[in-house]
Amino acid sequence: MPQTVDQASDEIRLLADVADGDRAAFRELYTRYSAPLFSLAIRLLGDHGAAEEALQDAFVKIWRNAHAYDPRKARPYTWAVTNLRRTCIDYLRKNRRAPSAVPLLDDDFAAPELHTRENIRRTTETHETSELVRSTLSTIAEPQRNALELALYSTLTHSEIAARLSQPVGTIKTWIRRGLLDLRAALKDATP
Amino acid sequence: MNKQLEETACLYVLDQLDPVERSAFETRMLREPALAELVRKLEPVLLHGVRELPRHEPPAGTLERIEARIAALRDTDPEPEPVARRGWNPFRAGGGALALDWSSLARWGVAAVIAVSLATIAIQSLRPATQPVFVIVGLDADRSTFAELPQSGSAKDPDARFIQLATLAENFWRKPGDMPAAVASGDSRAYALFDPRSRQGFIVVDRLPAAAEGQQYHLWAVDSSTGRVRDAGSLPQDGADRGMYSFALGSDDSLDAARPSFFITVEEESTPASAPSEPRGKVVLGKGRI
Repeated sequence: MPQTVDQASDEIRLLADVADGDRAAFRELYTRYSAPLFSLAIRLLGDHGAAEEALQDAFVKIWRNAHAYDPRKARPYTWAVTNLRRTCIDYLRKNRRAPSAVPLLDDDFAAPELHTRENIRRTTETHETSELVRSTLSTIAEPQRNALELALYSTLTHSEIAARLSQPVGTIKTWIRRGLLDLRAALKDATP
Repeated sequence: MNKQLEETACLYVLDQLDPVERSAFETRMLREPALAELVRKLEPVLLHGVRELPRHEPPAGTLERIEARIAALRDTDPEPEPVARRGWNPFRAGGGALALDWSSLARWGVAAVIAVSLATIAIQSLRPATQPVFVIVGLDADRSTFAELPQSGSAKDPDARFIQLATLAENFWRKPGDMPAAVASGDSRAYALFDPRSRQGFIVVDRLPAAAEGQQYHLWAVDSSTGRVRDAGSLPQDGADRGMYSFALGSDDSLDAARPSFFITVEEESTPASAPSEPRGKVVLGKGRI
């Protein structure tokens, strides 16, 4: 399900509490964000050990920089994802490793999760949205889809994406815009 | 909304803008509710995009390891920085940390039109030292270089001077080759642009590798006549190897700001309250005196 305004507001409060040194609020944020951020780190770094290191770094930064979060500029989740992505870029730079850029639609491996009543409900909802994202992505022409996926799931800049796909930077920007707006429209139609 | 602005909003949400573009976009977004609304509408795509990924739970004990690292940090940093709920200032301001002043950045937009021409004219027309000048200090691993640029006719107006300085900083950020205090272009480098009258400045760093864990880069100002050193702040640990940050030396009579030099050291990580009063770590940029 999309993040609601209430959910975002709740997380803004949590971040403010973290900024005040509230450990319980930090643990709550960890509970909410750790799995998706870890999944993204694995995608970006292609290695579980490196991903755990990056996840740790990202959460330490969340603890230290919660005071700098500005709710006018981004939702907490976006801020956390940006934080993680930059941490992964930093990790790759420090370790002089090439970024991972596995195509999304080819990857169907997932670590199993113990089933509880709550996560069965959440899994069902997420599955429906995932199918929607996946089906919308599959309707986008391949080069545009590649550009969007690289923007979403790699540490490449749009200039680097342009070089990798042998396209002008302006074309890549247009593809990313169209893809993102198409995905947004699909999600909006599906989730009142 | 035009396509170019939509493109920029998309790139913003995906964190695909460079720091200057990002700052400019955020400044504009804070002024234009429609732009902020577009970003709000695009953000769920990022959320779903990440949730679309195969789900992996972090290894057991990860939270405990993170908390142990935080506990270790608390020896030098007892709590996170006090939350700025009133202003949500993105970087610590004053008293030990370099600040990117968003309200001031808003004024950059006004100056954008004169950016390139001002810098070009200023560089080409160095005038006698009696005219108010901006100081530019180029820093690389081995040396510092010094240059002055005359301030324009509206130099009495502090806001106008700040805009001139910010414009120069942004122009040099985009085109380091235009910098009059040229330094080696192959490795890490930095430029400090400083207004001796307001004692405000900008530091532009380029290709500066991320500091090791538990360390941070620190900017120092030096009174060239007495050698007295003054703390100008610590660079934010944002993982980027490029950055442009503002700083202010404040009204301290112990430092003659007419012809300062600058250098950057790597120090143990600290809070503004516990920041070192004098450099203890290795000088990484600006080793040589001017």
